[in-house]
Amino acid sequence: MKNIPFVKYSKLFLILSGALALASLVLFIVWGVKPSIDFTGGSLFEISFTTARPSNDEVQKALDKLKLDNSVIQTTGDKGMIIRTNFLSEDEHQNVLKELRADFETKTNKLTESQFETIGAAVSQQLKTKAVWAVIFVNLSIILYVAYAFRKVSRPVASWKYGLSAIIAAIHDVLMVVGVFVILSHFFNTEVDIGFVVALLTVLGYSVNDTIVVYDRIRENLLRRSAGSFSEMIDVGLNETLMRSINTTLITLIPLLALYLLGGSTIHNFALALLVGIASGAYSSIFVASPLLAYIEKWQKKSV
Amino acid sequence: MGVLVLLVACIMVVVPNYANAGIDWVNNKMNLGLPRLPDSGFNLGLDLQGGAHLVYQANTDQIPDSDKANAVEGVRDIIERRVRGGLGVSEPLVETTQEGGNYRVIVELPGVTDVNQAIKMIGETPILQFKEQNNEPPRDLTVAETKQLNDYNKDALKRANVALQDVLKTKDFKSAVAKYSEDTTTKIKDGDLGFITQQTNPELYIWAQTHKDGEISDKLVSSTDGYNIAERLGQQDGAQEVSASHILICYKGATGCDNPKYNTKEEALAEANKLKSQATAANFASLAKQYSTEPGAAQTGGALGFFEKGQMVPAFEKAVWDVPVGQIIGPVETEFGYHIIYKTGAQTLKEYHVARILIKTKQKSDIVPPADTWKDTGLSGKQLKKAEVTENSQSGQIEVSLSFDSEGTKLFADITKRNVGKPVAIFLDGSPISTPNVNEPILNGSAVITGGFSLTEAKQLAERLNSGALPVPVDLISQQKVDATLGADSLKQSSKAGLVGLIGVMIFMILYYRFPGLLSVGSLVMYALLSLATFKLLGVTLTLSGIAGFILSIGMAVDTNVLVFERLKEELRTGKTLTGAMEESFKRSWPSIRDGHVATLFSCLFLLWFGTGFVQGFAVTLAIGVLFSLFTAIVITRVMMRFVFKWFKEEGSPLFLGYTPKKIEEVKVK
Repeated sequence: MKNIPFVKYSKLFLILSGALALASLVLFIVWGVKPSIDFTGGSLFEISFTTARPSNDEVQKALDKLKLDNSVIQTTGDKGMIIRTNFLSEDEHQNVLKELRADFETKTNKLTESQFETIGAAVSQQLKTKAVWAVIFVNLSIILYVAYAFRKVSRPVASWKYGLSAIIAAIHDVLMVVGVFVILSHFFNTEVDIGFVVALLTVLGYSVNDTIVVYDRIRENLLRRSAGSFSEMIDVGLNETLMRSINTTLITLIPLLALYLLGGSTIHNFALALLVGIASGAYSSIFVASPLLAYIEKWQKKSV
Repeated sequence: MGVLVLLVACIMVVVPNYANAGIDWVNNKMNLGLPRLPDSGFNLGLDLQGGAHLVYQANTDQIPDSDKANAVEGVRDIIERRVRGGLGVSEPLVETTQEGGNYRVIVELPGVTDVNQAIKMIGETPILQFKEQNNEPPRDLTVAETKQLNDYNKDALKRANVALQDVLKTKDFKSAVAKYSEDTTTKIKDGDLGFITQQTNPELYIWAQTHKDGEISDKLVSSTDGYNIAERLGQQDGAQEVSASHILICYKGATGCDNPKYNTKEEALAEANKLKSQATAANFASLAKQYSTEPGAAQTGGALGFFEKGQMVPAFEKAVWDVPVGQIIGPVETEFGYHIIYKTGAQTLKEYHVARILIKTKQKSDIVPPADTWKDTGLSGKQLKKAEVTENSQSGQIEVSLSFDSEGTKLFADITKRNVGKPVAIFLDGSPISTPNVNEPILNGSAVITGGFSLTEAKQLAERLNSGALPVPVDLISQQKVDATLGADSLKQSSKAGLVGLIGVMIFMILYYRFPGLLSVGSLVMYALLSLATFKLLGVTLTLSGIAGFILSIGMAVDTNVLVFERLKEELRTGKTLTGAMEESFKRSWPSIRDGHVATLFSCLFLLWFGTGFVQGFAVTLAIGVLFSLFTAIVITRVMMRFVFKWFKEEGSPLFLGYTPKKIEEVKVK
């Protein structure tokens, strides 16, 4: 097999990845993402009609009669609608249904409520806090673990720097997912729910998993062979694990793609986030995490 | 071998119906009496089977800290009872959690369609009431009310006549139902009452007896609930009924024997036997008038008229039912004494299929509700200080003792003074849970409920009473409802996605890695079975996100194989022998496999801590998947490889990726 000189071209990839990650971050700050009721509190109706659904405007008018603030109406599928409103008590919930039934039901066109969710402020606040802490803890614990796992390899870079590079690559992947959802959120009103956070945390774990395999090979080569520069070791390691990285990623993406295409609308966005994150994870372990190590080593040399 | 046993065990857990069929077959052939496997299904989450998830916050501000947990447990208990009993949910999950300083009650109702009603039932604050027997007759109507009643009914009659004229003119009964009928239950069914009997609709039944199928009443038929316009639609045979006369000889101690003529059963039986020998069809009535101890027999001559099954005491009914008409039988013993019975008739009742238009009238009971058998005393859970389980020092019986506050003590003293010898009922949520008899007035504000309780029952009652006394208001802070159809769709779609993903991975592995790929497919199947069996055995609730977690873990499971196979390829390229390369590749890939999985497990761990349904479902299945993928990829694939690699030549074959016979020579030359 040919030896691909990854490190040689790594500047290009690092700049490209860095630019993309930065763009995601900027977009995230400027546009932001639409948080779902999981984080803001509120209600979500999923209703469907047996023959034909009324227009969004008609439904909006019906809801206005009940003086519901902040209601947002979207269509879904052929005959379905999704309505989002503020937190509703059970009585208010029933009133909305009654109003909709009175206005739009006919003998042949029946309304069914296939899903209803309402989340109070106490619950959503708690979820928000927990989500933030979970992200922080996962990051910290992974850095610590990688530092521990690479404790025997402190030459030429300290073991915690492996951890740090792995996390930087993982954060890059997370930013890719965020970027995709910022765009979806901005143009298609896609909402970011608890599943999104779960996907992010999973991507973190998975991306680090991927990176560790590559690092592990570099570690092994460092311990076994003494010839060659650090950059060469990295190149050898990358080349040796290249097929594994590609295959593993393909193998993980196959079921996820099936889930994305066949798994139904509820799980659609979740699967998408995982798809983007895991694909990016494979990319970043080769083109971000490993070149980073090489650069860290170069900087160290300079500063010494 | 061990692998095979494990495989069979997993199959038995995942698809027990097939395994059970096998066990049944073995039992039939060999009579071993092997037990069948429990064939419970997977524990499906609400998002897959439909249902409701409710989160209540308990308002415990008013309750001292030490009692909070108990009070919330009481609420939990009541809610569970309400959803089990009131809603008939067979497997509700009701649990309490503590978030910060807040107590929450989480209620999961699988398969519930009417969530609104469920919420209503759960939200009520438990109500404890003490009631005494109500002996007051219902009050009479006032003059104004009488006038109002008459006016209403006059108007109803007028409307009924209008409807009648319309029906007679148009002959269109169905549209008249829609236009005029005030009977909400039958109105939507074109007025159809179904088959009626003498008991269900006496007035309409009498009318139907004298008319033919298809006839519509030309006059109004009045019934207790209003004026009817009826149409007879059909008839069928209904219940049997028989008629009989009897002579009763009662004795001291028999039920309803107020002026006993006979002091012992024996005397009564002797008298009854004497009468039986005298009785004929002709003299039966006069004998009954003369000798029967039944009150009223002097007038009726012992005739009971027609009766259906269930109307007479069982012994009487059994004796008279199957004998031919005209026969005299007895003495028959019942709780009332000895009967000589003369069967006078038997007939099959007709039932008529009738539709009606009802114009409702009002009765006195519509204005003054019929008297309740129990009447409120004003003593309620508010005045109950405490209920606890005690044991009677003399009889050793388990009791529940109550103590009241000062207001309750006074009320209770008054109630017990009024009701000595009579029952007082304790109502919880509107239904009586205990109706103890008052033996003597109780002045000290403490009462004891005895009633043959078991310890658990008594504890439960005490807890209910305490929670009635310490009502904790609950607020619904979150609800989630998924329609069963949507759930079934999700289950179908995600299972399909899982299967397609699994097959896709298998095809990829075989195409790329050739023979070892085939082996990894074997361990992948094993992995899937093992995970599914574990979900079942541990009772992991499978949610949509859980299935997603499982699907994701398929990739991870194969990843481990990929790592090993890539290693194998390299080791083979360096010219190692097949088995040597295999052992080496497992050994070398282990550290990275281990480290990689640990990172994913960290994510799972924090996801679990996250704690809500969606997240937990995902994290649990992913974590289980990751753990098992380590096992199957390392242990099972290796066992299989060790087993089958012996079949091949030392240097391998083209079935293995990385097979390069030339390289071996090159190495030798060097």
